[in-house]
Amino acid sequence: MRSRAAKEHGVQWSRRTALQAGLGLGAGALVGACGSGRAADPDGSVHLTYWSWLKDLQLVCDVWNAQRPDVQVEAVWIQPGPDGGYQKMFSALATGGGPDLAQVELRQTPAFLLVDGLVDTRRYGADAVLDRYEQAILGQVTFNDAVYALPQDWGPTAWFYRTDLLEEIGAEPPQTWPEWAELAREFRATDRYLDIFNPSDGSYFAALAMQAGATWFAIDDDTWVVSIDDDATLETADFFDRAVREDLVSTSLAPFSPGWFAAANEGRLGACMSASWADALIEGAAGTAGLWQVAPMPRWDGGYGSAQLGGSTTAVFSTSPHPAEATEFAIWMTTAPEAIDAQIEHSGIGWSPVPDHIGTPREQPSEFFGGQRYNEEVFVPAAEQQHPDWTWAPTTQQVFNELSDGFVRAVSGGSSLVEACRRTQTAAVEMLTDKGLNARAA
Amino acid sequence: MATTEGDAAAPQRRAAWILLAPFLVLFLGTFVAPIGYAIYQSFIRVERAGLFGEEGTTSSFAGLRNYAEAFANNEFVGSIGQMFLFGVVQVPVMIAAATVLALLLESASARWPAAFRAAYFMPYGVPGVIASVLWSFLYVPGLSPIIDVAALVGIDIDFLGPSMVLWSIANIVTWTYTGYNMLIIVAQLKAIPAEIYEAARVDGAGPLRVAGSVQLPLIRPALLLTIVFSIIGTLQIFAEPQILQQVSTAVGNEYTPNMAAFDAAFNYNDYNLAAAEAVIIALTAFALSFVFLRLTNRGQR
Repeated sequence: MRSRAAKEHGVQWSRRTALQAGLGLGAGALVGACGSGRAADPDGSVHLTYWSWLKDLQLVCDVWNAQRPDVQVEAVWIQPGPDGGYQKMFSALATGGGPDLAQVELRQTPAFLLVDGLVDTRRYGADAVLDRYEQAILGQVTFNDAVYALPQDWGPTAWFYRTDLLEEIGAEPPQTWPEWAELAREFRATDRYLDIFNPSDGSYFAALAMQAGATWFAIDDDTWVVSIDDDATLETADFFDRAVREDLVSTSLAPFSPGWFAAANEGRLGACMSASWADALIEGAAGTAGLWQVAPMPRWDGGYGSAQLGGSTTAVFSTSPHPAEATEFAIWMTTAPEAIDAQIEHSGIGWSPVPDHIGTPREQPSEFFGGQRYNEEVFVPAAEQQHPDWTWAPTTQQVFNELSDGFVRAVSGGSSLVEACRRTQTAAVEMLTDKGLNARAA
Repeated sequence: MATTEGDAAAPQRRAAWILLAPFLVLFLGTFVAPIGYAIYQSFIRVERAGLFGEEGTTSSFAGLRNYAEAFANNEFVGSIGQMFLFGVVQVPVMIAAATVLALLLESASARWPAAFRAAYFMPYGVPGVIASVLWSFLYVPGLSPIIDVAALVGIDIDFLGPSMVLWSIANIVTWTYTGYNMLIIVAQLKAIPAEIYEAARVDGAGPLRVAGSVQLPLIRPALLLTIVFSIIGTLQIFAEPQILQQVSTAVGNEYTPNMAAFDAAFNYNDYNLAAAEAVIIALTAFALSFVFLRLTNRGQR
């Protein structure tokens, strides 16, 4: 009788649900918008439907709609992709009745190619703007010389920290990861944690490994080459294995979960390694206004200054009868300054995909972050210091889940993060071959 | 003679089929067909040419490959073992609690039995998702008054940690279903004829003796029913861990068998593997219920 398994309530943690609902436990379960009706065009105008889980996206589309009476775009809110949105999109693609445009995470675009779901935007004029995008990010949606989705937002990583707590022990933001570990040790001496290590989200560790210079997936002709056990990955895993064993990081607080906010508000957490979009979330720790600032990531000897954590695209579905108009809109959505500003204002999107316009609101100093102009000071350089050749596989979600399952086991003492990476490596090759694809270990 | 009898029976037989038709259509369409389709899907696999299958895809008979894949997945197999451990502890605790509550409510000295019955049953009326959200607030450090009070008396408790979270889930499940199982047992207790109680009293049996020698043997069918339901329910736990996943890092994506099948279907788009896992879950539930009934029947003889 316990079987009332509410599949439609597949609530997983996602930062966007958090963004929309603050401490919203189960918030993702509340709404399930629907409707993919393709309106007739009595006056010859084209009507496009756009599925996304960004809030108030219609207000952004209305800016376009006012300029372009011939191409009207309707935004339809759906559940966040990992919480059921992708399931909805996949079934729409299977039946041919989906939207013209959809929000698809950068890391999820290859999975949509498995079902032949996305249009090559280069066929419809995207070439004119490709050089404006952050090239490292554009590379993640480029396969076989085709650009299958246009980057909409993303998250360069940096280090958010509590100025008051660091000052209390006379510390500066750490420049290197060993310095970070030393600082974490000092924090433990005051019965606080410096930061968390989140074992249940593979993307978090992927960002750490990416910064260290790992390359998990590469393409060799028609074969996927997998190396989740390369040196940079295993060194990162080993570093955090030691941090976890020494209890330098909390492994029980999921980032921006109610417990995390409680700890942050009570001053039991000193810092937060996260991406640019975390600013709005950290502001949810209302009792700590003015106490936070942002510093660049601690660095390894090799690797990069920052990494990517999260990010979405505007994708044109292969089932759209109007791919040219849809691509034209997607280009506007992701590159026009007024579109980027409107998305920041209404929808709270992440980092702008075009370096030449980070967004007017983001050029202001922030009161919450102690008057720091952190976007220009920290995130603009971070966005430039990215891994240039990172590629996601069609099985990214599955790899993340395998990884996080292994990590959960590791932090509960049964195993290690290194071991989890090694196992995920073997599993990842199998996952690809199980999909009927060619894959091998590097 | 025989032919006339046959002729008379034929319209009757036709009427029977006509009257059965609505049931049969629904039964075949919503029960047999989906199960058959799931079993069929569990024997199919897809091959892709090129990086993404852009050069063509083909479906083919996979034999037992999807089943082999499911059994090779340690998380999935582990989740079944996990639920076994869960069931061995939680089901007896819950059924014992339900039985004790039912006996107390049906005892002669019970006050306001109807009100208490309703109160104990009430958690069952709370949807599993809501119950899990409510309980999660009692489990989260920093929000939970339970943890605060425990800390005052020097007990450091982490409801959502790797070693505790399974029992935190068991607690939610017990809270939800004890009252429901109690009600089934109460119904059977009410069916015991008053004469049997009288006879027991005449023979000088006290309340404990009545419970042990009269009531427990007579509610055996209800107990078996609730235990079999609970065994099947244990294998199908989904909503509680799915919700707790948001607040506990110790709950993975394949924490229970149903979560693993859900994961395969809707995160990985691998419906064939999900179908194989679903068939395995169903067969396991069937086998466990069967073994349990066989063992208890043998005990009776």
